[in-house]
Amino acid sequence: MENLMERPMPKKRITAAKKKETIFLFLMLALPVVQWLIYFFYLNIDSILLAFQDKRTGAFTFQNFQLVWEQLVDPRGDINIAIKNTMIYFSTDFLIILPLSLLMSYFFYKKILFYKGFRVIFYLPAIVSAMVMVESFASFVAPNGPVATVLEWFGYTIPPQGLFADSDTATNTIVIYCIWTGFCSKVLLFGGAMARIPVELLESARLDGCGPFRELWQMIFPLIWATTSTQIVLLFTGLFNSSGPILLFTNGAYDTQTLNYWIFAQIYGSGKYGGNTGNYNIVSCTGLCFTLVGVPVILFIRWLMDRVPAVEY
Amino acid sequence: MKNEKKNNSFLKKFRKEESILTQRNKSEKILFGVVFVFFAIYAVTLVFPFIFMFLSSLKGSLEYVDDLVAGTVLSLPDNWLFSNYADAFTGMSIKNSWGVPIYLPEMLFNSIVYTALTIFSSVAASALTGYCLAKYRFKIRGFMYGAAIFSMTIPIIGTSGASLKLAHTLGIYNTLFYPLLPSFSGFGFNFLILYGFFSNIPWSYAEAVFIDGGGHGTTFFKIMLPQAWPAILTLCIMAFINAWNNYLTPLMYMPDYPTLASGIYRIELTFTRKGNYPVYYAGLMVATLPVIVVFACFSDVIMKNFTVGGLKG
Repeated sequence: MENLMERPMPKKRITAAKKKETIFLFLMLALPVVQWLIYFFYLNIDSILLAFQDKRTGAFTFQNFQLVWEQLVDPRGDINIAIKNTMIYFSTDFLIILPLSLLMSYFFYKKILFYKGFRVIFYLPAIVSAMVMVESFASFVAPNGPVATVLEWFGYTIPPQGLFADSDTATNTIVIYCIWTGFCSKVLLFGGAMARIPVELLESARLDGCGPFRELWQMIFPLIWATTSTQIVLLFTGLFNSSGPILLFTNGAYDTQTLNYWIFAQIYGSGKYGGNTGNYNIVSCTGLCFTLVGVPVILFIRWLMDRVPAVEY
Repeated sequence: MKNEKKNNSFLKKFRKEESILTQRNKSEKILFGVVFVFFAIYAVTLVFPFIFMFLSSLKGSLEYVDDLVAGTVLSLPDNWLFSNYADAFTGMSIKNSWGVPIYLPEMLFNSIVYTALTIFSSVAASALTGYCLAKYRFKIRGFMYGAAIFSMTIPIIGTSGASLKLAHTLGIYNTLFYPLLPSFSGFGFNFLILYGFFSNIPWSYAEAVFIDGGGHGTTFFKIMLPQAWPAILTLCIMAFINAWNNYLTPLMYMPDYPTLASGIYRIELTFTRKGNYPVYYAGLMVATLPVIVVFACFSDVIMKNFTVGGLKG
């Protein structure tokens, strides 16, 4: 039978087919491309321009950069506190939540007792409103809550004003909340990656006497590297957006604000520079400064991730 | 057919019983036992918010405060006040910028519209771009793919000011249709998932359609899209959960059209001072119930289809 794909077609027909294909591609891609041009290209250009404009007059100025610098180098400055807290949240995500998610996924993959139920329950924080989780957590760690009772057994007491009304404990408590609710989607992603590993590989390793630790570290971990490296790249992409639900817990009080929250507060009008209408210029300026810091970091991380070859199977 | 099924189930059973991966020696049994205990405790803490919220929503306001002070928030209500739910619908309200009160039913309507538009926009745009870039070779394809990866991995922050300004310029600020345009992003996480999915569907299906006289549109809508249904459904469910619980976007961009999430957050700022927490929790239950129902129905779909591969660009 003649292969239809190899049959030479008249030039006119090829042109008509190509024309149809081009029209189809234009119709399919026009709207998403326009959206991208507006919401990525124009938006970022405008944001850069805003960084160099005076809030009231719109005139060209470096004053926003001066303000950001002052806030950054002053130990009690908003941005200084915000950036320190942001780094705490990022480190928690990278050094605690990510590895623990990997471990949890491993035990699910190894079909620990009731693993299907655990997998669904562990995903609950992603589906329930943060308001519900925050309220429940606040009652957990309240001075008369269950955590206080447990701490009393070990001789610790929670201060009467609570953990969120003290600068020394507020951020750490929110970090614990983030760990409590932080595993959901990562466990699913790693679980999905592990499920694709050919069982025969692990079975043969098992027959050769491979224990659980070696199995995880020397087999599973390299085999799911594509997913892990993607997660690491995405984590670093959100480096300066790392935060907890500050708005719901403390509204930025008690030195809990992060860069993300600080930006929200300036835009929403409740921040120091926001006034009643919000200060887009200072926000754009801060964003531009930290984007310039973040770009080389993410490029380096991507380069680093690409050094480790992904295993094909 | 019956015999085949019988054989399959026998093979599955045999594999389950005989797989060396599920056999554990003594030290592994201890390890898995300890991990199971940790998982069980963690799971209980995650279920706690639901029980806490449900029981609190049925208590009297004084009873709730008494239980909170006594640290017995999980005690059963003295009287099961289902009337709190009716009170939530008729009593919980916030005022829009004209001073007109907006009640829970209207917030529910706003939530439905906001969520539906977000799901449609985000998934539809990604389906269009994902399909075209996966299946067609055209001049700017490489540029578009590179731009998609670039915009995903470059850590741009602080554009919310420019975004708010843009919403004003486009005339979509403070309208119910706000999410339609910003969510119509064809180059994000959803794009990567659908790009991967469409890449794996053989092009021979399209060739068969072309031979039968069908066009590119027929191929996409009648052949390819139905085949990508598992991935699209998963993305729709994830978009539903995120949009339904998102309180920040409606708070900032559509203040006069509060959704349940943003409305209840705003109510909490004033409502709790009157001490009627149980009615507030009833409102939260109303807001949470649809997500729980959707998750209960589709948790299997989410668990099976939630995977992401490498991010090489």
